[in-house]
Amino acid sequence: MKISKKLSFVGFLLAVGVGGLTILKVGAQGDTVSDQQTNLIITNCVLVKNTLNQLHASDALLRVNMGQIYESMSTKLMDKFNNRVANNDFNNNYIVSVFENYNLALNSFRSDYIDYEEYLSSAIGIDCTKQPVSFYDAVALARTKRVKVHEDILKLGKNIDQYKLAVSQFEKDHFGTDGGVKR
Amino acid sequence: MDRQTASPITDQPTFKDKHRFFLFIVGSIGIATTVVVASMSMYNGSGAAQLDLSRPGYKSVRSKITANDGDFQNYSSSGVIDKNSIKEFRSLFDRQSQKTKSVDAFGGDPLSPEELGIAVPI
Repeated sequence: MKISKKLSFVGFLLAVGVGGLTILKVGAQGDTVSDQQTNLIITNCVLVKNTLNQLHASDALLRVNMGQIYESMSTKLMDKFNNRVANNDFNNNYIVSVFENYNLALNSFRSDYIDYEEYLSSAIGIDCTKQPVSFYDAVALARTKRVKVHEDILKLGKNIDQYKLAVSQFEKDHFGTDGGVKR
Repeated sequence: MDRQTASPITDQPTFKDKHRFFLFIVGSIGIATTVVVASMSMYNGSGAAQLDLSRPGYKSVRSKITANDGDFQNYSSSGVIDKNSIKEFRSLFDRQSQKTKSVDAFGGDPLSPEELGIAVPI
């Protein structure tokens, strides 16, 4: 009698455990892809893959061209201006700190783009007719990484504006309106 | 008079002696493989792979690369700093910053299910 009670208790615990796990698993899948959406992915697989391939190529071009401009702004303009200011014995601490922030944003842009490209490439590599759910999840991940790259671009733009303001402030502080030099 | 007695030739050729050429080839291939693996990992890890548009799949955009940034003038790091030199810097800086703002790079949401045509219609 005692043994059967114990067995039924263990059975109850097992049932609760297995049931809970099943609910969690179904819940996790249900959050992302429904059956209808799975069918849609399988049907439109070729079309979606083409779109992703085009985006992959156009984003790579954007990365190269924009990266070149951001890089040159740092090395050919900002860095040179900072050096010129320092060579003339002016205090350039504020301008340098804005410049450092710009370079940090540029580094984030570089590394976040690598992440994004890797995720997008892996999504493109998944066969969406056979693994529609994995494909959907991979695209969703690549999407979040792309948002991050866009945030880096916005940050770079903000730093460019700040640098411009810092130069104006430097001019105001040291040359005033009369053109006289104040060190 | 001491006469040195010549030692009889008793040494058998070793494995190394017998397969010298084979070992040379295997060694060469091993070194080449190591160098290739190291360089490929550097190529992928450094981000150079992402900038390399000579890879297959980028043929359509290859011609659109800005290969010549000749209009990007260097600002001189030597010389005096005065209102004129700052004005010169500002003009160069503004010209380039305009380029960065003319495009909403990586904006939009082309990877959303709606854009990709895999969203379930409500």
